[in-house]
Amino acid sequence: MGLFGSDSLRAVPAPSMSVAHYKSSPAEPDGIAEEARRLTRQAIEALGGMNRFVSKANIVWVKPDIGWDRRPEQAATTNPDVVATIVEMCYQAGAKKVLVSDNPCNPARLSFPRSGIQQAAEKAGAEVIFLDERKFKKMSINGKVLKEWEVYQDTVEADRLINVPIVKNHNLCLATLGMKNLMGVIGGPRNRLHQDLGGALVDLAAFLKPRLVVLDAIRVLTANGPVGGNLADVKRKDTIVAGVDQVAVDALGATLLGYKPDSIGYIVQGNARGLGTINFNSLSPKQIEV
Amino acid sequence: MNPLHKWIGDFVHPPKEARLDLGRRAVLAAGLAGLGAKLLFGIDPQASKRSFNPALIRPPGALPEDEFLARCIRCGECMKVCPTNAIHPASLEGGVEGVWTPVLNMPVGYCDYECNLCSQVCPTHAIRQVDVPEKKKIKIGLAYIDKNRCLPWAYSKTCIVCEEHCPTPKKAIWFEEVEVLNIQGEKLTIKQPRVDPDLCIGCGICETKCPVKGQAAVRVTSVGETRNPENQILLSPGSFGEG
Amino acid sequence: MAQKKKTSWIVWLRRLTQTGFFLLFCYLFLQTVYHPINKAGRGVTFFFNLDPLVALNSLLASHALVEAMLFSLVTLAVTFICGRWFCGWVCPFGTLHNFFTSLRGGRAKQKLAVGGYNQWQKAKYYGLVAFLVAALVGADVVGWLDPFSFFFRSLSTSIYPAINKGLVALFTWIYDANPGVGPVRLTAVTEPIYGVLRKYFLAVEQPYYWGSMLIGVLFISTVVLNFFRARFWCRYVCPLGALLGVVGKNPLVRLKKNEEKCDSCRLCLVDCQGGATPDNPLEWKPSECFYCWNCESDCPAQAISFTVYCHPEPFACHSERSEESPQLAQGKLREGSPQFSQGKLREPSLRIAEGRNCRDSSPRQVGAQNDTALRTETGEKAR
Repeated sequence: MGLFGSDSLRAVPAPSMSVAHYKSSPAEPDGIAEEARRLTRQAIEALGGMNRFVSKANIVWVKPDIGWDRRPEQAATTNPDVVATIVEMCYQAGAKKVLVSDNPCNPARLSFPRSGIQQAAEKAGAEVIFLDERKFKKMSINGKVLKEWEVYQDTVEADRLINVPIVKNHNLCLATLGMKNLMGVIGGPRNRLHQDLGGALVDLAAFLKPRLVVLDAIRVLTANGPVGGNLADVKRKDTIVAGVDQVAVDALGATLLGYKPDSIGYIVQGNARGLGTINFNSLSPKQIEV
Repeated sequence: MNPLHKWIGDFVHPPKEARLDLGRRAVLAAGLAGLGAKLLFGIDPQASKRSFNPALIRPPGALPEDEFLARCIRCGECMKVCPTNAIHPASLEGGVEGVWTPVLNMPVGYCDYECNLCSQVCPTHAIRQVDVPEKKKIKIGLAYIDKNRCLPWAYSKTCIVCEEHCPTPKKAIWFEEVEVLNIQGEKLTIKQPRVDPDLCIGCGICETKCPVKGQAAVRVTSVGETRNPENQILLSPGSFGEG
Repeated sequence: MAQKKKTSWIVWLRRLTQTGFFLLFCYLFLQTVYHPINKAGRGVTFFFNLDPLVALNSLLASHALVEAMLFSLVTLAVTFICGRWFCGWVCPFGTLHNFFTSLRGGRAKQKLAVGGYNQWQKAKYYGLVAFLVAALVGADVVGWLDPFSFFFRSLSTSIYPAINKGLVALFTWIYDANPGVGPVRLTAVTEPIYGVLRKYFLAVEQPYYWGSMLIGVLFISTVVLNFFRARFWCRYVCPLGALLGVVGKNPLVRLKKNEEKCDSCRLCLVDCQGGATPDNPLEWKPSECFYCWNCESDCPAQAISFTVYCHPEPFACHSERSEESPQLAQGKLREGSPQFSQGKLREPSLRIAEGRNCRDSSPRQVGAQNDTALRTETGEKAR
């Protein structure tokens, strides 16, 4: 079961999920950048292209993981070239404005440039925003756990939301993937959500409804996440997963770290509450070798 | 007599208005006041080297306390530049002599792992210039868990936000999976955080991010700081892993 | 007859350099933030490197000196020659006090009453001695009162956060209330302004500091005290000013008065910033003079000037003014004369006995208001 937008009626249903894997694993930065660009592009093309998700004159909010004051090779933040490629593709699909931002755990002024995402996104033409405190507004989430929460106004008002997380180990919930990444759109006392992360994240994901999730698994953080720091904890998976079903994408992402999807609370709850399916294979994800 | 000769001559015989006319006794009194101040500073318990104020957490790279106080000009540059608003002007943490010297205030801000801005700006090098790799090895304190307030310990609620944020390459906060009973008598498996004193550098992000308001359930005190060999609890210094 | 005079070009130059250094200080203050990636921006260290007080204290207390602080020797060298020019032309904290002093209204008479030299101005020297002795025995606390430390610390921990809070609150209120008529909203104007402020002035995140109230109150007090006494901090408190006063107590560039032209209107005293009693060269205090040139500028008879020290004796002199006054040429009144150095001529009152040019028979006093020779005009321009 997938969640399609109204503008995706086709005669032949396009795949709702794709997994792009790079045949090689380049070591030099240029090689990795090239890999990121090609994988991202192919993964989204396999879903029918960015036109399926972004319409002309849309304002698109791209939400990468820029949570930590870490370098790209430490795999605590999304690969900058993945973000840049998504920005480019949005503009190619006719977007009016592409905004890139995050509400990070370390100061934004530090994490944005050190992750490389600020530079890469700006180069691709995006507007990189440092969040304005005034624009966190209390909104009705009406979830099981979250009734009301402060959410960034501009994100909700944007036409499209594209979630671009990176796959990381997380000792509380085993892995931080797409749904956890959405915490970067909210404000308030976020550090309380951990008391019921499973329920809270599903509420959030159902409220925000990103059009597209692009999961960065080029480098994954296998231990000491979500902050990391030790290069020995970083493994190359050279994969990008793209999809519309948040639960399914996260379930597949969990397997990349070696975790069973049903051992992760928010995936199980998301499946149970109908947000998506934990059984990603049932969506017949398109496998691509690049 | 040309002006220059006159000028030099005036150093030998100063003209009336060039004399400051301060009065020997008054100058002596001022000098004694300065001396007296130093003596009074010296009887603050901090100076005994036996009693250490747990709230006196100095920025990483700060010189040992005597030297630090001899160099710090309380200019506030470190306080301005700190990107996390961690550095504050001390009240009496360092004694009266330490008023307005920099101390870290963890409930407000923590010391970012990859940052060394304070050591870059200090004009007198009271915070000596350390590059980031060296700074990561400097301990400024040690965190401890207040089990009476910590959600997993005291209230059987899941949390470990402290562990989530801990920046050391091998996390200085680990956890034990413990089976506890909740108020209904049901069994729960809870992750209870513990601090590793070998790895903890006292950066304070755990205290800053802890959801327990008022007084955080994990707090940093100055014990274990690298710059003070007296203010220690471990028998041997710890290792820091890689990163 | 005293007339309102055009301000001398030197005063304008001084104001320009004061403003320049002040703006530089403020710019460097704002630059003391994180710059990508992990760079501190140019701190106000430039000013600290020029500060001989900090250098001296650092040396005494810690027996070590940051090399860059050797630049303070330049300050000392110039002070040796030009006295406390630093206070008058460079120090940004001094400029702040200068500015608030100039905001004082009041007729020149009242200014004169509170503006003259005061014995309490010696307090800063005693403070300096106390600080130096303390530093000598290892307690370097001069930072509490060093003007750059005081200024920067007050700005960073109290004043700037407060201004930041106020501005953000204002723009947030407008943003939330969103006043306007129909499609015309005030935010269309205020939001772009807020954007510019956010980019160039406001803090990335609102800073908060322990102890900010005390620091803020102290700062505001020093500023407000300027309405009580001109340049209060500079005259009574500043240990750097005291140090420069000691070093500069025998400058090469000195005040010089043409006794013939002077008619004791005492206008030179009105705007004297340092309380250096410029109206009587025998009593002019180089340790208190900021070389602000106000006296020279205000003097309607152009009797005052600052020149390289020149002996007024009948000996050959390089200054073009020495021939103008016969009294000067007789050399009886100046301390450089043989009689003076033999200790015979000390008191200014001897001048009166000579029946010479000074009409004012009483020694300089603070608050001498009954001087009929005082000429002022209403609307006398401040400073």
